[in-house]
Amino acid sequence: MSTVTTYRPTTLRALRDALADGAGGRLVIAGTGTAADWGGAPEYDGVLDTTGMSGLISYNPTDMTVAVQAGMPLATLQETLAEHGQWVALDPARAAAGATVGGLIATGDAGPVRHTFGTLRDCVIGVTVVLADATVARSGGHVIKNVAGYDLAKLFHGSLGTLGVLAEVILRVHPRAAATATLAVRCDAATAFDLGARLIHGSLEPVAVEWCDGTLLARFDGTPGGVEDRLRRARELAGSDATDTADAAADAWAVVGALVRGADGDTVVRIGTAPDRLPALAALVDRAAAEHAVDAAMTSSPFAGAHTVRLRGGAAAAHAAVVTALRTAHPATTVCRWTDGLRAELPAWGEPPPAVAVLRAVKHAFDPDDRLGSGRFAPWF
Amino acid sequence: MVLTNGSFDAHRPPRRELLDDCVHCGFCLPSCPTYAVGGEEMDSPRGRIYLMDLAERGEIPLDRTMAGHIDSCLGCLACVTACPSGVQYDLLLEATRPQLERHVPRTRRDRLVRRAVFAVFPYPARMRVAALFGVLYRRLGLRALTHRLGIVDRLPAELRAAEGLLPPVKVRSLFRRLPARVAAVGERRLRVALLEGCAQRVLFGDVNAATARVLAAEGCEVVVPEGQRCCGALNLHAGLEDDAAARARRLIDTFEKAEADVVVANVAGCGSSMKEYDRLLADDPAYAERAARFAASVRDVTELLAELEPRAPRHPIQAKVAYHDACHLANAQRIRRQPRDLLRAVPGIELTDIAEAELCCGSAGIYNLVQPVAAEELGRRKAANIEAAAPDVIATANAGCLLQVRRFLGRDIPLVHPIEILDASIRGVPLERARR
Amino acid sequence: MSWAAELTEVLGRENVITDPARLRTYECDGLTGYRVVPAMVVLPRSAAEVAAAVGVCARHGVPFVARGAGTGLSGGALPVADGIVISLQRLRRIVEVDPVNLRAVVEPGVTNLDISKAAAPYGLYYAPDPSSQQVCTIGGNVAENSGGAHCLKYGFTVNHVLAAEVVLADGTVTTLGGDSPQLPGYDLLGAFIGSEGTLGIVTQVTVRLLAKPAAVRTMVADFATVAGAGDAVTGIVAAGIVPAAIEMLDNLAIQAVAASTQSVYTLDTVAALVVELDGPPDDVAEQFEQVQEICRAHGCTKVLVAEDAEQRALIWTGRKAAFAAVGRISPDYFVQDGVVPRGRLAEVLGRIAAMADEAGVRVANVFHAGDGNLHPLVLYSEAAGEHDRAERLSTEIAELCVELGGSLSGEHGIGADKACSMPRMFGEDDLATMLRLRSAFDPGGLCNPGKVFPTPRLCGERPGRYRPHPLEEAGVIERL
Ligand SMILES: Cc1cc2nc3c(=O)[nH]c(=O)nc-3n(C[C@H](O)[C@H](O)[C@H](O)COP(=O)(O)OP(=O)(O)OC[C@H]3O[C@@H](n4cnc5c(N)ncnc54)[C@H](O)[C@@H]3O)c2cc1C
Ligand code: SF4
Ligand code: SF4
Repeated sequence: MSTVTTYRPTTLRALRDALADGAGGRLVIAGTGTAADWGGAPEYDGVLDTTGMSGLISYNPTDMTVAVQAGMPLATLQETLAEHGQWVALDPARAAAGATVGGLIATGDAGPVRHTFGTLRDCVIGVTVVLADATVARSGGHVIKNVAGYDLAKLFHGSLGTLGVLAEVILRVHPRAAATATLAVRCDAATAFDLGARLIHGSLEPVAVEWCDGTLLARFDGTPGGVEDRLRRARELAGSDATDTADAAADAWAVVGALVRGADGDTVVRIGTAPDRLPALAALVDRAAAEHAVDAAMTSSPFAGAHTVRLRGGAAAAHAAVVTALRTAHPATTVCRWTDGLRAELPAWGEPPPAVAVLRAVKHAFDPDDRLGSGRFAPWF
Repeated sequence: MVLTNGSFDAHRPPRRELLDDCVHCGFCLPSCPTYAVGGEEMDSPRGRIYLMDLAERGEIPLDRTMAGHIDSCLGCLACVTACPSGVQYDLLLEATRPQLERHVPRTRRDRLVRRAVFAVFPYPARMRVAALFGVLYRRLGLRALTHRLGIVDRLPAELRAAEGLLPPVKVRSLFRRLPARVAAVGERRLRVALLEGCAQRVLFGDVNAATARVLAAEGCEVVVPEGQRCCGALNLHAGLEDDAAARARRLIDTFEKAEADVVVANVAGCGSSMKEYDRLLADDPAYAERAARFAASVRDVTELLAELEPRAPRHPIQAKVAYHDACHLANAQRIRRQPRDLLRAVPGIELTDIAEAELCCGSAGIYNLVQPVAAEELGRRKAANIEAAAPDVIATANAGCLLQVRRFLGRDIPLVHPIEILDASIRGVPLERARR
Repeated sequence: MSWAAELTEVLGRENVITDPARLRTYECDGLTGYRVVPAMVVLPRSAAEVAAAVGVCARHGVPFVARGAGTGLSGGALPVADGIVISLQRLRRIVEVDPVNLRAVVEPGVTNLDISKAAAPYGLYYAPDPSSQQVCTIGGNVAENSGGAHCLKYGFTVNHVLAAEVVLADGTVTTLGGDSPQLPGYDLLGAFIGSEGTLGIVTQVTVRLLAKPAAVRTMVADFATVAGAGDAVTGIVAAGIVPAAIEMLDNLAIQAVAASTQSVYTLDTVAALVVELDGPPDDVAEQFEQVQEICRAHGCTKVLVAEDAEQRALIWTGRKAAFAAVGRISPDYFVQDGVVPRGRLAEVLGRIAAMADEAGVRVANVFHAGDGNLHPLVLYSEAAGEHDRAERLSTEIAELCVELGGSLSGEHGIGADKACSMPRMFGEDDLATMLRLRSAFDPGGLCNPGKVFPTPRLCGERPGRYRPHPLEEAGVIERL
């Protein structure tokens, strides 16, 4: 690679001009880089850094919507919203590392409250994007309910920088709950699934249900009286193993975040399955890790069907073997962090989804010259 | 401005204002039995109204196609109940059917079946002969034999339907007649005249006896006017307006002589058509006023009983009862609560809901005889829904429904008229015995 | 073989309609102002038959339009002349209810309400509840991204669909979405939902089911002014309360409801809010008090709290029947569907009233106030020659919403009705980019053509002028 051009626009106009500048050639879009590793390793001649576009565009607390430039870190945005008792209902582990709003859309990432609020796809109400040919396009708008035209935000959700650059994002925000409490129960995956199901079917409405490293965490948000009542009833359902001190809960949630982020030398994969696959997946992780002598830990939002597995220690080949075992059983797997040498052992993606032909056609329609994030989805396209 | 009726003639075509009430929202679709079966727009209320509308504008002719979709309507009026916009489909249907009868020649086969039905059903004597034949047919094992030989399967669908409908009547009950007058028990509250019904009288004589007993127990003097004939419901619902009107006049004549406070029907179809006499005879100067008075005095037996403070003590009956809404009661007369309340007031009775309660069982007058395929599917569907509720007894207020549902039940669940349950409760006898 | 003969052969004579009178019953959907007679209607009985029918269309270049229950209010299911209508009314099977994974798999012709009915034995339900839920199909809901009263808290169709089996415009079958919402790749499912039948035909849908809330409290609060009711809505939302639903009816709408069903609404109140809270009992009780206080603070004149399930049902039956019930107080009407930011409710209602006065027609309001999604019903009489005036007013109201920073449509879709207004909300590049998505799915443009996007043939050479967003006018955002 010769010289790499870097663009760091701060305005929509500058962003468009950057894309119009043919000298950039193939571009990789970068936020704070918390997910630079996801999927395939793109080839590029230039870097489009979005972190200069980090401004608040408009925020009207009574409307409960906020418009930001896509390079704004989520954590920064949450601080602003917190002043008005509001938040974007999203708690991804990467937020603590500075992940930007645009980057979180492009990765489709989320945290434990996905159990109730889903991912950013469920909060974004409008976007402005700039395509590879410098076309600027908007979809959606500033109101929470809107069906006019196609929803480009959805399309960009999970696009990993291959369709265009998210420039501006409009989000719906939620009120912060007056009270919150977490119940923690040490238990295996099957018990966790069963207990989680009883909390849900018992209409206790946990805002998050996470099974992390052998502990089920159920968080309740609401009014002080309501939360207390539900926590009590949840404790009754859980039996004697339950703890619910605030300190312990804070620590337990911190473990979830650290596990998902991983550290240098780890491999981290994200897996999507149907909820009831949790026990089988947990067993598979244990088995494969033991077989290949790597240390594995996992955290799951079982009812949102989202799991993260972290592999630590052992050789790249061993990591490759475990990932392959997981991917074979559950094709909807994304490798988010690669241990050294793993890329050489393993293609970036496993079995493609059934609609891969449509994915390919969409990519072609938006970026016919494969200019953006080229190779990110290889070998699919 | 020239008034035109498009493809309709000038004699009472469907009225433009009534057609305009339909806003095409489709809320009526799920309650329409023919739509449930086929899913075709022109066999839905919205589609039928649309066809009428187009015909009224002269954009489509009155032909076999149009007639086919109007014929296939069961007249169950579930759409009227479902419609938030207040479309009076009943009036539209009543206006359209005679037009089609006048302008669209029927196929030969269709004509024959209809003629046979109208030649038998409205006449108790002929009905009795047919039913007697039915009893013998069963008794002598002919039924089993014809089934075994596969003869039934080779009958035309319409005849197969009629064969299947034959109820398990007893010869004795075929010839049972009610006394001309039953005195009120205790102080008389009302004098009521009871309509025996033609098919009813023959096939469900037990129900009439039970009705008279319950009314008497509740303080009504019951008279059964001599010489009463068919109320014309079948003709009315089939678009044979003139026949229906003639029958209405005769019935009014007969019942006026009884000088009763209230005219009571226990067959939903009869009750609903008698309540329409005012409309039917509105253009007849000699009868318009009398018809209005008569129509206003008609009550379904459950309706009347619900109006009367109960007097006779109820004895417990332990049974889980599925109440099936007869269309002509629930939709045409909007009587849903009263029979349920009456049943619930019997100690020991547990009332259970039937899924898709609003969907017609496919009986609807003579529908099961003239549109047997759709009727069969609806009957099966209704029977399956009833069986899923696992009742001990099924109660419904229409003879046609009783016949139709019975035909498709896999299990032998007793079917009764609600009044029979009340009768058993008041008399303090088990339900089975009461029906003997 | 001609395409018509081929379709007849593939599907069977009894599953195709060609008779002119019968075809005419398919010429419009819930929006009867637009009518086009299709060349044929087909009623496939399986996904394979849908795919076969679309395959024939693809080979012969015949446009096709999917149709569910035909309750759409934007002409989305309006046929194309010389094209076919594919009715999904024979795909009405509930394939599976899976209480363990909290989902149901259904065919597209299943009605919205029937999903909840099938889930009820497990204590579960399907959350999005369009007023037309008893009749509209899940296929239509997916196409329109339908919402309903309870979408304020629970979100829209797009938030509750996990996967869709789709027949693409070339007749191939694929699956968008899957077992989990967390899948790699573009969210094609999310983009498909709300695409108004222009990207393919749904032949099976997997929806998420929710556990029924433990407690539900519902009230009707009367207000002496429309502005008071609008401000109360803003107040409730600003207080950090997320009710399951906040609906508003004005006096005309209340009169229509009273004429249609057994009504619990006060006949002479100027406006009424229906507020429903659901969730865990203690939380609900606490916030229910708070909502009543907020209403009182904004001049509420009377509060009716539903005593039992029956009374609650009456409140909702009235609300949900309101559109159609308007048929009782006016021979004809237009339903509008604009959205404004929630803080501007009182303002927009005032302006609509003024515009109505000026135009000399009546406007009834019944709408999803919590979302800012207005449904002004413009009442008129065709016979009295008021059609054009009313139509103009209706369009002006939608465009007013755009002007105030809102949207042309909150849930009914653009369809044939508002395609020509799209340029007021979106610029050329915006629309061109959306069309790139369409071309990826349907390069031949056979799938429900003429909807959503303006065409010169439909709108004339110069469609409406673009209206800058208020933020643009204020110089906060710029359009390049
Ligand atoms: C009285 C009334 C009240 C209403 N209330 C609401 C409301 O509260 N909220 C709301 O959102 N809407 C409402 N609507 C509008 C309408 O009911 C919804 O848009 C509904 O989703 C349409 O469903 P349908 O089955 O009738 O679809 P149709 O009207 O038949 O079709 C609608 C669109 O979907 C497409 N389509 C249908 N089936 C499929 C399929 N299987 N695959 C792909 N495309 C398909 C059609 O091509 C068309 O573009 C209301 C309508 C009425 C008449
Ligand atoms: S009367 Fe019954 S069968 Fe006829 S259109 Fe109405 S609902 Fe359908
Ligand atoms: S009859 Fe009533 S319910 Fe049916 S489409 Fe017309 S207005 Fe709607």
